[in-house]
Amino acid sequence: MIKIRDLEKIYRTEEVETVALNKISIDVKEGEFVAIMGPSGCGKSTLLNILGLLDDPDNGSFLFNNIEVANFNERKRADLRKHNIGFVFQSFNLIDELTVFENVELPLIYTGVKSGDRKKRVEEVLDKMQIMHRRNHYPQQLSGGQQQRVAVARAVVNNPKLILADEPTGNLDSSNGNEVMTLLTDLNEQGTTIIMVTHSEHDARYSHRIIRMLDGQTVLENIMV
Amino acid sequence: MFKNYLKTAWRSIVRNKAFSLINITGLSIGMAASLLVFIVVQYELSYDKFQPNYNRIYRVVTQDKFDKDITYNAGIPVPALKALRAEFPHIQFGALESAYGSQITVPSGKNETGNKFIVETGLFFIEPQLFEVFSYQWLTGSPASLKDPNNVVLDEKTATKYFGSWQEAMGKTVLLDNTVPLKVNGILKNVPANSDLPLSVLVSYETLKQNGGAYNHFETWNTTSSNFNIMALLPANVKMDDINRALLQFSRDQYKPLQSNSIKTNFLQPLSSFHFDRRFASFGDHVTSKSTLLTLSLIGIFIILMACVNFINLATALSVNRSKEVGIRKVLGGNRSQLFGQVMTETAVIVCLSILVSLGIAWMMLPYIKHIASIQEQLSLFTLQTVVMVVSIGIIVTLLAGLYPSFVLSKYNPITALKNKMASAGVRGVSLRRGLVIMQFTISQVLIIATAVAISQMNFISKAELGFNKEGVLILNGKSDSISLSKQTAFKQQLLQIPGVQSVSFNNDAPSSDNLWSTNFGYNHQPDEKFQISLKFTDADYVKTFGLQLIGGRIPVESDTMRELMINETLVKDLGIKDPNEVIGKTIRIGRDQWYPIVGVVKDFKTSSLREDIKPVVITTRKKFYYCTGIKIRTQQLAGTQAAIQKTWEQFYPEYAYSPQFFDENIARFYQQEEQLSLLYKIFAGLAIFISCLGLYGLVSFMAVQKTKEVGIRKVLGASVTSLLQLFSKEFTVLIIVSFFIAVPVAWYMMHSWLNNFAYRIPLSIWFFITAIAGSVVIAWITVGYKAIRAALANPVKALRSE
Repeated sequence: MIKIRDLEKIYRTEEVETVALNKISIDVKEGEFVAIMGPSGCGKSTLLNILGLLDDPDNGSFLFNNIEVANFNERKRADLRKHNIGFVFQSFNLIDELTVFENVELPLIYTGVKSGDRKKRVEEVLDKMQIMHRRNHYPQQLSGGQQQRVAVARAVVNNPKLILADEPTGNLDSSNGNEVMTLLTDLNEQGTTIIMVTHSEHDARYSHRIIRMLDGQTVLENIMV
Repeated sequence: MFKNYLKTAWRSIVRNKAFSLINITGLSIGMAASLLVFIVVQYELSYDKFQPNYNRIYRVVTQDKFDKDITYNAGIPVPALKALRAEFPHIQFGALESAYGSQITVPSGKNETGNKFIVETGLFFIEPQLFEVFSYQWLTGSPASLKDPNNVVLDEKTATKYFGSWQEAMGKTVLLDNTVPLKVNGILKNVPANSDLPLSVLVSYETLKQNGGAYNHFETWNTTSSNFNIMALLPANVKMDDINRALLQFSRDQYKPLQSNSIKTNFLQPLSSFHFDRRFASFGDHVTSKSTLLTLSLIGIFIILMACVNFINLATALSVNRSKEVGIRKVLGGNRSQLFGQVMTETAVIVCLSILVSLGIAWMMLPYIKHIASIQEQLSLFTLQTVVMVVSIGIIVTLLAGLYPSFVLSKYNPITALKNKMASAGVRGVSLRRGLVIMQFTISQVLIIATAVAISQMNFISKAELGFNKEGVLILNGKSDSISLSKQTAFKQQLLQIPGVQSVSFNNDAPSSDNLWSTNFGYNHQPDEKFQISLKFTDADYVKTFGLQLIGGRIPVESDTMRELMINETLVKDLGIKDPNEVIGKTIRIGRDQWYPIVGVVKDFKTSSLREDIKPVVITTRKKFYYCTGIKIRTQQLAGTQAAIQKTWEQFYPEYAYSPQFFDENIARFYQQEEQLSLLYKIFAGLAIFISCLGLYGLVSFMAVQKTKEVGIRKVLGASVTSLLQLFSKEFTVLIIVSFFIAVPVAWYMMHSWLNNFAYRIPLSIWFFITAIAGSVVIAWITVGYKAIRAALANPVKALRSE
């Protein structure tokens, strides 16, 4: 599903040049659950942003479902992203002004799903995430665990092929964290590919494979049994 | 999608209450002010536009060119009417003559002498042909109703006032100035208030011809009265310039035989300039200068711009806080145009809310508009034009205020946006925000300077040495028919019996007035001088009653006819004489009359408003022209004295309405427009300062949040509260100083031009400018102060932890 080769990303300021990704090459198959680990500043978030088509690489190749997307413009990237990729963030990133229902509905609005269908799909996913009873609440009225469940619901509402999770349990206690990890595992078992950046060895153990990074390069891959 | 935009917009407004309030307050005040300005300007520009032939109607006016100056007169000699009709048969001419202070007596069963009404807006003697030039609607009757003498046409309002209903009025007889009976022969639908021809009582022109003497209506080329006007309707294919060229030749032919000391020329004045050309007297209640309307419009635009600036400043500043939301939307697939649309929708929602509030404000303020503009009519807020205006303002303001913030927000990079790192990215907007703050303070300071100058000039006028006493002088307008004149001595005696009355003078005019009786003259048996003099006919008590000062010779002796003259200092100077005593005993010939001796010289007094220079004046006796009675009264027991005066008047002149005027009120009317402009400056300067401060407060609130970490670190390192306050106020102080230097030349130019309208004016002192900068800085400091102190006093540990 994902095939990147010799991918480079360099951040330049007037005086400093920081290599975030140094000719990195990774493959991710459809249905895989991959964890990316490494110390702060090793480039894992940059990698995730490029995989999520939020950022573009300076050099190298990025094939998404066998299509070269490294040189896609913003519009094409946004289009590909909204139909194929769901995101889960450490800090949930829900819109404070929108209710739970409206937050989950948002990706469907951007993909142009009709109002009736939207309602049905949002209710289905909220039900699945066991957060239906909170549908009219605002994010500030929810616990961290509930907020992350909403974020996961929002990530999956469009039935994406790929979910990118950036430290999804980073802001949660262990019990809520485990709940979110179980949700992700369930999704993966239903066929969704998941790539997760994490600092937690415990969370990483939920994955099939751990890619360890250092200074913008992959240094080790562990296959989980 | 749009529903989602609206929902987010509304919730964002509710969430950011303080900023929304600042934006809505600023925008609604700005829009209300602009809306009111629009209504006033539009009303002023609408004068007489209801006339179907608006663009083809002209008045034939007169220019008098002397050696030293040029005078303009809306009138024309009476014989010109016949001559013009002969010379320009293809043009439709119609004449009218106005008579001010005329009285209409309506017979009444209850009142022996009838009900008396002074026609305040002016009575007009009108040719039926005038209705071929101007179009009016008739309730009954037709232009032919004014064909014969002793006929009158009333407008609906006046007919109702006189008779209870216009239907009742038809066929009734009224008495004009107690002498001329008039039969009501037609009723005109009320003329709209936005007309410079306020027709209410229309007497047939033939009546004037039969009673010419009583109304100074002379069939002579020598006299030009501004009351006698000839209107013209040009055929569609005829150009004004062509007729003006022909009128040049016409003037040469007609005026040459007069051997006047000036060159008289007639030309056409378009109807579209009646309301704006101050060179000509207006039959309406006021003339408005187009530059005043322009100033007003510009101020209206500036005020709304300032509110937009607040919006842009706050929205771009706030966008930093909204970066996360923008980031999320982008991650979830929202593209740039969708985000752009969202921010524009939010702006539109705020603008719509502001429009609603502004309509409320404008609606509440509308009844007070007559205090700032000479509009007596009750204006309506909900006309087609205002609706179009409101919608246009809404669209323009949404675009002005929303475009830049939409552009800034929609172009955010989603990754940086999500990390809330837009603070650094927002730095680019800082220079724009500074520019906008400078613009706001420039406008505020220009208005502060304008206000200070206008107030000082108006104070100067109200305290200026006028050369006469304006306080406590009551003026009664009467008639100079022989019966009235015969009662004058006894009337005066009786008035002087009233304890509160100090002195009484009969005259044709107060020392300072809008009236002008000017004529050519010769001095000391020489040919006519190259300038004109202004004439005042008064009795011997004029000097005492109005408090004039004699600086040489004596007051002319009491006489029913002209015998001796008194002149003013300006005339002495204009004759090239230094010592006033030198003219005593010399002679003056007025017009083609005989030579009369000068017996006294009075100290200069202001002959008209302080906009104009003092005119050379000759004061003499001639009982025939004593229409006015000036009564100097003691200000104690004013009410009792006034009641006694009224009683005396009614005893002597029961057939005339009693309509007293206080001289100082008449003087104040000279400066009505200036007073209104001064008030407008005050209001707009206040609004401008308020809106700037709102914006400043918003920015500083935002800065306080942005600088939380910086303030925390500085405090940990030992910064004092004072130094932290400086951190906040320094930038704004610099911006105000920069705006000051932009405001100074603009304000100087603007107010220098305004002061040039006055012959007597204050100097444009440096203190006005110092007041503006000092005032702005102090106001800005106060605005910034509260937020800055709170930020400076906050617990640094908390600040750093939150970072």
